[in-house]
Amino acid sequence: MSASAAQKVDPAQATLWARHYAGHDMIGTRTFGFWLYMLTDAMVYAALFASLGVLSHAVNLAGGPSPSAFINPIYAYGETITLFLSVLIYGYSMVALKNGNRGAVIGSMFVAMLLGIVYLVIAGVDIGNMFAHGIFPQVSGFLSIFFTIIIYHALHILVGVVWMLVMMVQIAREGFSANVIYRLINLRLFWHFQAVIWVFVFTFVYLQGMVA
Amino acid sequence: MFIKNKRYKMWAQMVLPPALLALGGCSDSGLYLLKPEGLMSRTFYHYFILDVVIMLLIVIPTTLLTIWAMWRYRKGGKGSYHPTWSHSNAIEAIVWGIPLVTVGILSYLSVKAIYDVNPYNPGVIAKAQKADGGDPVEVDVIATDWRWLFIYPQQHIASVNQLVVPVGTPVKFRLTSTSVVNDFLIPQLVGMIDVMPGMRTKQALVADKAGTYIGFSADYSGAGLSWMHFQTKAVSAAQFAQWVKSAQQSPQHLSYAGFNRFAKPYIAVGGDQQTFGNVQSGLFDYVIGEVMRGKVWRTPMAMTENMVNYMQKQRAEQKAGDY
Amino acid sequence: MLVHLQGPWSPLLGRLTLQQIPYHVPILMVTFIVVAILAAVVLAAATYFGKWGYLWREWLTTVDHKKIGVMYILLGLIMLLRGFADALMIRTQQAMAVGPSSPGEMGAVHGYLTPFHLGQIFTAHGLIMVVFAATPLLVGLMNIIVPLQIGARDMAYPYLNALGLWLTTAGAALVMLSLFVGNFAHGGWYGFVPYFELPYSPGVGVDYWMWTFQLSAIGTSLGSINLIATIVKMRAPGMTWMRLPIFTWASLSTNLIALTSFPVLMVALALLGLDRYVGTHFYTAGMGGNLMLYNDLFWVWGHPEVYFLILPAFGIMSEIIPTFSEKTLFGYATMVIASFAIGGVSWGVWLHHFFTMAATPSVNSFYSVTTMLVGIPTGVKVFNWIFTMYRGRVRYELPMLWALLALFLLLVGGMTGMMNAFASNDYMWHNGLFVVAHFHLMVLTIAASIFGAVEYWFPKVFGFKLEQKWGTWFFWFMVIGSGITFVTMFFLGFGGMTRRLDYIPYTQWSPYLHIMLLGMVFYVVAVLFFVAHLYVSLRDRVKNRAGADVWGTGRSLEWATHSPVPAYNFAITPNVNARDEWTWRKENGLTELHPGDYEGIHMPKNTGVPLFLGILFMGLGFALIWRIWWLALLCVALIVALIIIRSFDRDTDMTIPAHAVEQVESGARDEMSATMPTAGVRGGTVIAHSIPQSGTGGISGSTTSTSPSWAPMDR
Repeated sequence: MSASAAQKVDPAQATLWARHYAGHDMIGTRTFGFWLYMLTDAMVYAALFASLGVLSHAVNLAGGPSPSAFINPIYAYGETITLFLSVLIYGYSMVALKNGNRGAVIGSMFVAMLLGIVYLVIAGVDIGNMFAHGIFPQVSGFLSIFFTIIIYHALHILVGVVWMLVMMVQIAREGFSANVIYRLINLRLFWHFQAVIWVFVFTFVYLQGMVA
Repeated sequence: MFIKNKRYKMWAQMVLPPALLALGGCSDSGLYLLKPEGLMSRTFYHYFILDVVIMLLIVIPTTLLTIWAMWRYRKGGKGSYHPTWSHSNAIEAIVWGIPLVTVGILSYLSVKAIYDVNPYNPGVIAKAQKADGGDPVEVDVIATDWRWLFIYPQQHIASVNQLVVPVGTPVKFRLTSTSVVNDFLIPQLVGMIDVMPGMRTKQALVADKAGTYIGFSADYSGAGLSWMHFQTKAVSAAQFAQWVKSAQQSPQHLSYAGFNRFAKPYIAVGGDQQTFGNVQSGLFDYVIGEVMRGKVWRTPMAMTENMVNYMQKQRAEQKAGDY
Repeated sequence: MLVHLQGPWSPLLGRLTLQQIPYHVPILMVTFIVVAILAAVVLAAATYFGKWGYLWREWLTTVDHKKIGVMYILLGLIMLLRGFADALMIRTQQAMAVGPSSPGEMGAVHGYLTPFHLGQIFTAHGLIMVVFAATPLLVGLMNIIVPLQIGARDMAYPYLNALGLWLTTAGAALVMLSLFVGNFAHGGWYGFVPYFELPYSPGVGVDYWMWTFQLSAIGTSLGSINLIATIVKMRAPGMTWMRLPIFTWASLSTNLIALTSFPVLMVALALLGLDRYVGTHFYTAGMGGNLMLYNDLFWVWGHPEVYFLILPAFGIMSEIIPTFSEKTLFGYATMVIASFAIGGVSWGVWLHHFFTMAATPSVNSFYSVTTMLVGIPTGVKVFNWIFTMYRGRVRYELPMLWALLALFLLLVGGMTGMMNAFASNDYMWHNGLFVVAHFHLMVLTIAASIFGAVEYWFPKVFGFKLEQKWGTWFFWFMVIGSGITFVTMFFLGFGGMTRRLDYIPYTQWSPYLHIMLLGMVFYVVAVLFFVAHLYVSLRDRVKNRAGADVWGTGRSLEWATHSPVPAYNFAITPNVNARDEWTWRKENGLTELHPGDYEGIHMPKNTGVPLFLGILFMGLGFALIWRIWWLALLCVALIVALIIIRSFDRDTDMTIPAHAVEQVESGARDEMSATMPTAGVRGGTVIAHSIPQSGTGGISGSTTSTSPSWAPMDR
């Protein structure tokens, strides 16, 4: 059977032009695109984690320190708590968005942003400590990928923090316009995604490194 | 020690396209892959012909079908016109079926061929050795920027840009590189294997017939790549023994420290053969270890920038001698 | 400084010194003078004719998907010419430098190019042809055609679309800049590690290569997000999935590939960058690096990229062949399945790019078999095209000739591809000219489809047909040139000759190299014919005016609007009733294109931000290449600032008032003949010409012009 036969439309009854067609839904289209963007970022992480897998053998330490010798679980624990708390509080801001409460959105976003900054401080102290002990990315293949992953993740957090700052100004300026709403939804996706990635970073970089 | 120099029964040669045969058979056509002179390359050739024949069985009828459809159904031609005809279960089955079956057959052959010429343990050489016994000759190959050093660890000699092997005897290679990735290829004897710094790869070959064969690096490794070719001389066992003896008389020696000087980037314009009468044992493993520990023979800027007249200058101060 | 650099470095200018201008290389100086004169002429002409405002309003700041597509194609064609010039130099050098007694000119031992110079040329040739010629050409075509085929007014993100264009252009500009400031990478377009590490490639060439590549990768990923979102979200009512034209399906499949594979390339390049700039050990031979990691990461992108290029080409063939066979495409559903099968398999074959890397036989077997699997859907497509012609009425107009050339090239290219997939064959000719000839046939398949597509859709975009005579000459010289060059190259492949040689030691290969040079002569003549083709077409543009359904047998929705397409594509969004909607309308006599009763149309405004971002990214690339850290930081700061400032801009949209639409629509008279074209007439399209109304041209955002406007591309 011909596939086109199944969907035959009677020409006499056919609508040729979709008058008053409202077009696409702007917020839905923007968020869809942001999902696609996150897929590309997930692929970046996938490639980085694959590299981590490749560079995690004994030979890749090249005589340098092994991760179990220098990973301090306190910092990773602190980063986990702050990041997840921040994501939770950003969730409150989205609840407030549904209620149209401008102050609550800005307020909870401010707390989420502060927690993001705390995360960055912890990560900075952690990395600074390692550097102080002569543990640099240049020491071995393993350390190269180790630092690349944690710094790349921290850069995402930095972007999220800047983004929140910008959004707070925009909400204050123009309220809940379509532009602001889709950006808030995308930022939620972005921020949650960082937490999801952190689970992988925590598991494969910190935990696996510690037990290795 | 000898493996019988018997030719494969090559039924497929009977259906070899005549043009290919004429060109490949012509002694100085330069089409080296069509003139295999070793067990490995002959095995390749065998499967290659099979592959081509099977592919042509599909591609030629398809081409004819295309031309027929183009002619018959041209506008104003005799073909009937059915503007909405666009589906036929029978044709769908055929158009999926033919490629599926072809790929099935070719996959089977491909896998078989891969095991037959597996560089680490070639099925064909293992089989030949089982039948005839025989001790292989071992050769350690080190690719530098941009020369080939062939070390014969059993004989403690080494040869630069010249590989001498006995006919009919398996030759087993271990290969590594000092700096970048090269590819070891002797078109008439054996296919490629990557030669990688800090790593060891393997290859093996058996030469059928005495003669001089070309060999070269097949992977881009820098300015000296085009001059990174070597002669492969397949000689009789007696001649090989003689060559070893004369090489051992060579006054030039190669120590670890000497190798560090030898490995400095150098473009062997116009070929640069030499032999070393004595080679410090374990040199091959030493090189791998050094590279893994981060030893780098840096390419000077002069060899990567501009280079106008550079090689003429280098050729004028052609270097050879003890390292 | 983080790493050991050979040569000088200063905080103000980084590695940039006066010695980096290659004024002592005659070839480059001549090129520079020619480029400078051309640029001067173009700039002077723009000033003299007072076109700066026009250029700025209509092109540089545009967010119109058609104009962006045209600019992509223009970029692709310019870079195609550059890549061709490179090819010409490679072939000349190889024909000259054979055997120890061959002469050497201009400071080379043999031939006229030093290894360093030839290395740059073949690297640039490969990179340009893949990412700055083929990719922009195809992305441009998808940009123009996909929204039209699905009945959309624009892409999902017009602003992002422009950004993708300008990032790609920034990359291309950096490649061109490397000719005159510093040098380009000299080791092959896909890069080698550890050869591309700092100790072995101490110059800026690799950095140029890396950042241009990176910029185009970012641009293409943005483009793929846009196209996927457009296809998923912007289809006209009634455009169900199984009514989607095959080209749109192919675009979807290909952009899914791009979306998922380009990020991996970015990682591969970024890690190399870290090695070169920070001194990490990802790909080094020692210190715990793993050089095979680069090959894996690169080809995990590299092979899907091949299908990223070929799938739109297949889509184009699937559009052209039914149109000129005057018949429905055979096996629509299998075409869709095959496209996605190719897309899917593309992810599992990358290891065949390094079969010789001594993987175990079981690994090589796996990738050998998966590679062969690609042959199944590809074979199905070939058969489907043949059965589309079967029982049709095939008209041999130029687009069809190109599509059929692509089909024949695909047959040969596909067969040799299967031979490469046979790993024991690959052991013999990996990195050899057999492989080179194979993939050149495949990219020529792509090129032939692109030329077919340009012939086919050109009238839709510009409102007039390209003339046929010079185009046919161009076609046949391309056929002969390709035949001579690449059949000979296959023979050299049987000779065992490998790629990238600047000197060929074996004189037996000399005759083949000279025959290939003869093929290049045909190519050169073909380029001249192409120029004549364009010139004559532009000259006779009024004579060659075309109506909406240019070829008379167009099938999909893009033929259901005027030629040239107005800025808003469709005055009223079409409602789709059938798979080949336009054919269905023609069969039922519903070809009226002026439904009347227009409404205002909501459109995005023009913006200069993407152009500025492109310029800043180019500055960033330049700064990083030359390690001018202050400039790099400045560019990053400006980029971030510009993005944030743009996000505060609330005035990004506008509405084209109903009366303006009315005016444009009444200016177009695409009187359709109710019947299909009569038999026997070559190219017998029976269509009244639409009358062009080039007023101020284009509905631009900044000026609130209400005068009638066409996509003013025919000026």
